[in-house]
Amino acid sequence: MAKLIMFHGRECPHCKKMMPLVDRLEQETPVRFERHEVWHDEKNADLMRSYREAIAPKCGQQLRVPTFLNAETKDAVCGEMEFEKLKDWALKQG
Amino acid sequence: MKKRYWRCFVCNDIHYGIAPPELCPTCKVLNAYVEISAEEARRILGGGPATAVGEDDFRAALERFTAGNEFQVNPDPEKVALLLSGIFENERNHGFKFCPCRLRTKDPEEDLRLICPCHFTVHETYKGLPDGECWCGLFVRRK
Repeated sequence: MAKLIMFHGRECPHCKKMMPLVDRLEQETPVRFERHEVWHDEKNADLMRSYREAIAPKCGQQLRVPTFLNAETKDAVCGEMEFEKLKDWALKQG
Repeated sequence: MKKRYWRCFVCNDIHYGIAPPELCPTCKVLNAYVEISAEEARRILGGGPATAVGEDDFRAALERFTAGNEFQVNPDPEKVALLLSGIFENERNHGFKFCPCRLRTKDPEEDLRLICPCHFTVHETYKGLPDGECWCGLFVRRK
């Protein structure tokens, strides 16, 4: 499986809503996300910044959370979404 | 054009912008502003009365801010409470009331755009959408 990352913020309501969907996706499929909280961990924040060129064009030119990123292909989606949409995106990553 | 600092010569109001207001909003005197240095502005503002705004005060300020606008504070109290806790955590940890749903870039000029309330009315999550809201959801279009 591709290396997938979820960047999230502890006080971000969209991230809070997506978290159980990510849990469910990991239970139902072989998909796994490395989860990195970015507002309370500067190392994680720097990691997200290092992917800025990949993330920003997909996320309103900003580093928004939640962001789901394929660290190898640099494909990214961000924001709150339906379970099926996240699942389709994650499974498509191979 | 670069923003600069201006001081009202009557009441010492400070304005930061490309041009001063014609009318001082505090003392109502016309053509009262003179350009000053950033250092002078900092000294005046730093020496002023303590105006630390707590969560309740900030919430009230947001209600006043939205009252005359086409948007309002999100009616979901749980969401608002979570966002306000993040905004104040960010102020404690990073110096400004940064949006909890976007990461600062470390470019000071760019990061000013992340301070809540941000200029969300031009964002694609709000502009032209009947159910538009700011990225984090603190502000939603008024129904």
